[in-house]
Amino acid sequence: MSSGKEGNISGLVFDIQRFSTHDGPGIRTTVFLKGCPLSCHWCHNPESQSPLPELFFSKTICIGCESCNQVCPHGMAREILSDNNLRKEKCGTCDLCAGTCPSKAIEMIGKIYTSNEIISEVEKDIPFYESSNGGITISGGEPLLQFDFTLDILKKAMQKKIHTILETSGYTSKKRLLKIVPYVDLFLWDIKASDEVLHRKLTVAPLKPILENLKLVDKAGTKMVLRLTVIPEVNMSKNHYENIATLYAELENVQGIELLKYHDFGISKAGKLGFQNPVVFNKPTDQDVQRIYEFFEKRNNKITIIKG
Amino acid sequence: MSKSGNLDRRDFFKRSSALGLGTLMLGVSHELIANDKIDQIPLGWNSSIKANIPNRLTDMTHRLTKTALSGEHGRQMVYANWEFNEKNDPHLSDNAKYALAAMSVAQNAPLRIESGEIIVGSATLLESANHAIPLLGISSTSHTTLGFQNVLPIGYRGLLKKIENRLAQEGLDDKGVDLLKSMLTVLDAAQAWNNRNIALLEQQMISASEDEKKFIQNTISTLKRVPENPPANFREAVQSLWSMYAFQRLMGNWSGIGRIDEMLGSYLKQDLAKGTLNLGEAREILAHFWIKGCEWIGNTDAKGSGDAQFYQNIILGGINADGKEITNEVTYLVLDIIEELHISDFPTAVRVSKNTPERLFRRIAEVQRLGGGIVSVYDEAGIIDSLVKFGYPLEEARCFTNDGCWEILIPGKTKFWYSPMDSLVLLHSTLGLKDNNPSPDYPDFESLYAAYLKKLEEDIANLNRGIDGIYQGPDHPLAAMFVEGCIEKGLGYDNKGPKYNVMAIHYGGFADTANSLLVLKELVYEQKYLNLPEFCQILKNDWKDNEPLRKLIQNRFEFYGNDNNESDTMLQRVFNDYTEIVSRVKERNGIKRPAGISTFGRELEWLSKRKASPCGSKSDAVLATNFSPSPGTDKKGPTAVLKSYCKMDFTRVPNGAPVELKILPGSVEGEKGIAALVGLTKTFIKMGGFYLHIDVIDSATLIDAQRHPERYPNLPIRIAGWSARFTTLDKQWQDMIINRTQQIV
Repeated sequence: MSSGKEGNISGLVFDIQRFSTHDGPGIRTTVFLKGCPLSCHWCHNPESQSPLPELFFSKTICIGCESCNQVCPHGMAREILSDNNLRKEKCGTCDLCAGTCPSKAIEMIGKIYTSNEIISEVEKDIPFYESSNGGITISGGEPLLQFDFTLDILKKAMQKKIHTILETSGYTSKKRLLKIVPYVDLFLWDIKASDEVLHRKLTVAPLKPILENLKLVDKAGTKMVLRLTVIPEVNMSKNHYENIATLYAELENVQGIELLKYHDFGISKAGKLGFQNPVVFNKPTDQDVQRIYEFFEKRNNKITIIKG
Repeated sequence: MSKSGNLDRRDFFKRSSALGLGTLMLGVSHELIANDKIDQIPLGWNSSIKANIPNRLTDMTHRLTKTALSGEHGRQMVYANWEFNEKNDPHLSDNAKYALAAMSVAQNAPLRIESGEIIVGSATLLESANHAIPLLGISSTSHTTLGFQNVLPIGYRGLLKKIENRLAQEGLDDKGVDLLKSMLTVLDAAQAWNNRNIALLEQQMISASEDEKKFIQNTISTLKRVPENPPANFREAVQSLWSMYAFQRLMGNWSGIGRIDEMLGSYLKQDLAKGTLNLGEAREILAHFWIKGCEWIGNTDAKGSGDAQFYQNIILGGINADGKEITNEVTYLVLDIIEELHISDFPTAVRVSKNTPERLFRRIAEVQRLGGGIVSVYDEAGIIDSLVKFGYPLEEARCFTNDGCWEILIPGKTKFWYSPMDSLVLLHSTLGLKDNNPSPDYPDFESLYAAYLKKLEEDIANLNRGIDGIYQGPDHPLAAMFVEGCIEKGLGYDNKGPKYNVMAIHYGGFADTANSLLVLKELVYEQKYLNLPEFCQILKNDWKDNEPLRKLIQNRFEFYGNDNNESDTMLQRVFNDYTEIVSRVKERNGIKRPAGISTFGRELEWLSKRKASPCGSKSDAVLATNFSPSPGTDKKGPTAVLKSYCKMDFTRVPNGAPVELKILPGSVEGEKGIAALVGLTKTFIKMGGFYLHIDVIDSATLIDAQRHPERYPNLPIRIAGWSARFTTLDKQWQDMIINRTQQIV
């Protein structure tokens, strides 16, 4: 987003989650930035993909007061929001409906914060970070899409001695990456697929620059954890894990691998965005995950599996 | 061998027959033997919690546990069914009747000793489980921790000497002499009961195998020594404590246990040093104390507020009267036992501080992670400060335990009770919601607040006047002899004999009161969104046709529990004013009145008197528990809840104000989960809380348990200061718990 006053940069954020225990060690606050260059089919935060504010509509919370219809330019806010095609056709995302909805059935996802405001929120839990070796995690979407914003937050967090984690797909320019590396204590690096063709098919983006970035960060001496989303029909193959194991051996600063089991919590969110038929995948079983652990353990006993 | 490392019954007796004589005989190495399967669910726990439970205790112990938890013993309890003619004898004083009743109970109550029990002695009468004294038909004592720590090291014979010495001195009136003499008879009764248990064991020996004979003989030898004498070793100490406790229970009294690790620690230390006992054996013995505590489960089919409310509270850790940390091996054994057997019937509170050992922080988290809300923590330093500020000497303040639930008191010296009141109805009254007259129209917020405070003052003044005349009998000789002051003064337990006589003043509903005041201040007086009479009319109509306004309030305001300055400041103001009013009368007529904040499940009972509230609740809404945020209003997770809570100055509320956190099992899995729980506890101490319950539970499991109770026979859940089995709650209580359970992604 834009640069505001010197040292206070604005960005679009769709969630700030205190007491995060899955985005790095200890008790953390995770800041979720809106917008992502990739379009993974299994994304469990579908509202994170667009870099623009979007409206959620939750039918189950709606109390039927029709305040929204009264302010909607088309007079049919609920109907439009329930259908993604109608949204594309008619909705200008004017946010009047969200502003008037008493029950928050309609909610604007994506709010502008300055980096100072983010830090004010994050520093509220410093006593908890100190007691648990926690800190801040910046995630999204792809936080590096709002590069200046992310950089400023990380700088300020580090100044306040808050441990910093960046959760990323690694899809950005090398120049930017090297600029941000000094302010990241740990990267959580997602690797969706390890085959170029498959990667493009699944995420739209090429794999090559992501791997190059990964090696660059490694060379710069910053720690990282490789995160692998496990989706049985999509990327759970022996080939993939072979490639990961090979990659792992080449990295000096990798701390371990974390397996993220696909879950369908994102399906209801897709519904709130008006998607009537979101893609649903099968979840991996505990045995699936166990087999992957065993594969890595046999393949190279120096691979650390971070089991949460 | 049935499971890896466990013994079957024959082996158990073979090996345990030499218990206490130095050989490793319980068979199971006390190294950690993890269960093979991650998803093995012992005893019907919460299946969404995945953890490796160590398997250190023997099969026999597990079997006895299962039987107790199944309710089999409870279902076999009976009312006293023999003649007690002395009850109606006009020539006998009440205390004499009590003493004779104790003797009659000792001689006639059914005995129950199961094969394989290491610790023995059962309170078998149904009256006791119903808070009544058998044969006398009057209510017994509860809500205190009796002075087991004083009697254990001297035995009953030491106590007898004390009473006899006092009788020999001057200064007792007739009533005092009568009381002390009845105490002597009660001690005789305790001995008679003990002897009957010995006789039963001797009987059981006749048909026992050779190994079993040895096992039983050990128990007989132990009972021949304690509780009459000071214990000579750990097993005797555990049995002595149980025997004293069980006889109290048999006569209907529900005392807390208190600082079990402080009481038993030195005995274990000696045995370990001498090599006459190892940790595995000690754990086995102590586990049997835990099993005994389950024997009343199943005594009634009635559903209600849960089945485990006999106030059997255990306190672990913390400093002693000299300021020294007492955490010892017994502390860790207790946590091991709770972890492995998942018995929730001894609610366990750990006194923590910045000096608590890391190992203990970790063990607390590991057990909390399994759910059931069994282990909670007190901020020790803050509580001691509050007690000293209230007027207790420092050495006594350092000894604090609770009344069997969580209210703070000094053990072995205190008669305790509390008066539960609702602060929210006073706000309703201030707004004139109860009657058909037009509501008062306060010109500004400050005059509204002043009117509310005036009602609170009047309410408390009335309460204090009522308290002035209490504690005038009966004497309860059995409880009295365990409480400092009674023997010295010759005054009974309920007759201001104890050194400290406490009637704590408790109000609940503050979170909703403060949230409502905030809404009134901002909507009516600052934004002038609507005027007060309009608002009051809407409330009188229970929000009818005003659902949008109600939802608007609920969604636009950040209430207490979200680390929000406005709402937290408002609650601080109410909290400070309330505690200041109560502190105006710290003691009167020999009765102390410390402030507390609680609901104890009365959120349900108070519904009939509550109206709709400005914070957006309807008249039938079940509102905040104790000092936690109102259900559904805490939207920023447990760290925000703790931040809000810890803004209060708890030295102002010496009797206590708990906060409950409900955490999803998924949030605290694995090592990260343990770090998170430890982090919450340490920060709670750092920021100065009072009492923290963490229950690891998800509403999906609770809803499933509501639909299929047969799948969850032993799913303990934290309620409002105690744990009970979820399936023994009636639907209204279950729904309350489900609605209170946070959902944090």
